[in-house]
Amino acid sequence: MSDLLQLIVSALSLGATYALVALGFVLVLNATNAVNFAQGELVVAGGFLAIALAPLLPVPGIVLLPLVAVATGAIGLLLSAVAYFPLRRRPPTAVFVSTIAFGIILQNSVLRLAGPEPGGAPPLLADGAVEVGEAVVGRQSLAVVAAAAILVLLVHILIERTQLGRRLRATAQDPEIARALGVPVVPLIAVSFALGAALAGAAGLLVANQFFISPGDGANFMLKAYIAVVVGGWGRIGGAVLGGLLIALFESFVAAAVSQLAAEVLLYVALLAILAFRPTGLLGETAGRRA
Amino acid sequence: MPSSRILATIAALLVAGSAHADTTATIPVLVPLTGFLALEGASQRNGALLAFRAAAASVTVRHEVIDTATSPEAALNAFARARRQEAPTAVVAPMLGTQMLALLPAALEARVPLITVSGTAEITERGNPWVFRFFPGDAVVKTAQARYVVEDLGRRRVALVYQTTAYGQSGHRHLVDVFARLGAAVVVEEGLAPAVKDMAPVLTKVRAARPDVLVLQLHAEASARLVRQAAALGLGLPIVAGSAMHQPATVALLEPAELAGVCAESGASPISEDAPAVRRWVADYRAAFQVEPDAFALAQYDGVAMVLAAVAAGARDGEAVRRALAAGRYEGLAMTYRSDGAGNMAHDAVIVCYDGRDRTPRVARRYVNAAGTG
Repeated sequence: MSDLLQLIVSALSLGATYALVALGFVLVLNATNAVNFAQGELVVAGGFLAIALAPLLPVPGIVLLPLVAVATGAIGLLLSAVAYFPLRRRPPTAVFVSTIAFGIILQNSVLRLAGPEPGGAPPLLADGAVEVGEAVVGRQSLAVVAAAAILVLLVHILIERTQLGRRLRATAQDPEIARALGVPVVPLIAVSFALGAALAGAAGLLVANQFFISPGDGANFMLKAYIAVVVGGWGRIGGAVLGGLLIALFESFVAAAVSQLAAEVLLYVALLAILAFRPTGLLGETAGRRA
Repeated sequence: MPSSRILATIAALLVAGSAHADTTATIPVLVPLTGFLALEGASQRNGALLAFRAAAASVTVRHEVIDTATSPEAALNAFARARRQEAPTAVVAPMLGTQMLALLPAALEARVPLITVSGTAEITERGNPWVFRFFPGDAVVKTAQARYVVEDLGRRRVALVYQTTAYGQSGHRHLVDVFARLGAAVVVEEGLAPAVKDMAPVLTKVRAARPDVLVLQLHAEASARLVRQAAALGLGLPIVAGSAMHQPATVALLEPAELAGVCAESGASPISEDAPAVRRWVADYRAAFQVEPDAFALAQYDGVAMVLAAVAAGARDGEAVRRALAAGRYEGLAMTYRSDGAGNMAHDAVIVCYDGRDRTPRVARRYVNAAGTG
């Protein structure tokens, strides 16, 4: 029983970061109908920003979290200005390629500035473990799950309960009609990039303590976000969160029961099965066109 | 990281060594500087650059550092690029086993010695006379690792976690063989891809098998990740890891308390040594690169130094260097090097352990000619 609890908490802490990355991915997808392939590199940027800030501001990670989110949000704005807006009237493949290029530039910038070594960010609140019944559970895992849940809740409130959120949804549903109704579509798309990048950056800080982070980790995060969105439902905000958590839980339980290699293989078998038998994902699609 | 100082140092090393030179050696440095072996690749590069700086005044060293990343194709491209510019006297070759295996035929065709610290056993098992390994291979260090577990710790129920790369699988094969010879049982084993982040599943499997020791054959980041999560989950087993765990950059990721009860095999541990020559080398390394040196850097330094000694003694091309390395004996800083006939130059190993109070390991056991290969 104690092993089961440890397994669930650890998987949820990694799944929570996947969920944040996928959530940011969907925000951009819905606003632009384009896939942001730089999302994984934004996770890495967030992780290394936290690592760089830690010696300058010796405070718990929870204090650094908003700083990292704002900084990566600014990188998201830059991404939209450089890799999206100049190409948005071109075929979608142009944006795919431009975001890949931006991601590679970002990855190499991190490599140049931080070096090739993996890094570890400060814990959100504190190191160590707590005893839950017979189980020993890492404080950081619990804090990551809680922090990610709060961030997801804040995004939900922003999207569903605010004027900005209503405008973002209007832009996502039909940008032409939104523009005709006076909604400032271009700034809202930029805000979507900033939000998506901020969530990726926050995920980078959350993941970089317990699991460490390396300059080359971006592709793996991008892949997991992409799978999460496919599993949850292309363009579904709730689906992205669900997909991220399911991927991590699936990998953990199969790895513990069979092997890590089996978990990798079966994840992709499951993905193929979803594409074949439920191509709209578990919660169905909202976006019109799939990349 | 003061990367500008490191670049300045590298630039200074590029022009060093030309005074009074009457022999030129061209030694490209092809190492992984990006990807999951970037830490080890940077150590290789740094060790080679220090050796270039220490070359005899009569030898000018020409070199270029090329990143081989983590794919065999990238290594082959780097090798082809290095060959196009000037016929190499020798090549500092990447420590990634899959890249080395791809480079072996190319080196044979080009007749260029490959000087590497790769631990993958197979690279010297293919009968290629152009490969020289200056870090003890798996036959040596895995023997030391297994012997320490059984003979010193008295443990006989082994949980073995290894990487699914060539390095990991090679070490896994040797460890299973040696443990069988020593009468220890591998009660659970698990292969991990380098990208695996969450170690809780493998630790759950390990605990369920009730081993009395956890043996690792993982790359640097994965080693640190597993040790951290084992400490967080209260695994409570001694851990005897592969050489990645002796690296200061790996250890820097962890708190000293997380390292309590953790040991690692290695060819050497330069920061743990008291020998004056090694202490001077460590000081030079710190001054040049502002990081702590590891055994890979020291082994690569010794390997390049042996090549440069051969050049200074009259070896002018790849074939002459190959003959000198194959037949010679060299007193390096880490150990005495001599070929076993297959290109394995290093035959000694150490086990280092952390006491949980700081990040500097102590040498717990030395194994001279550990596997009887020297």
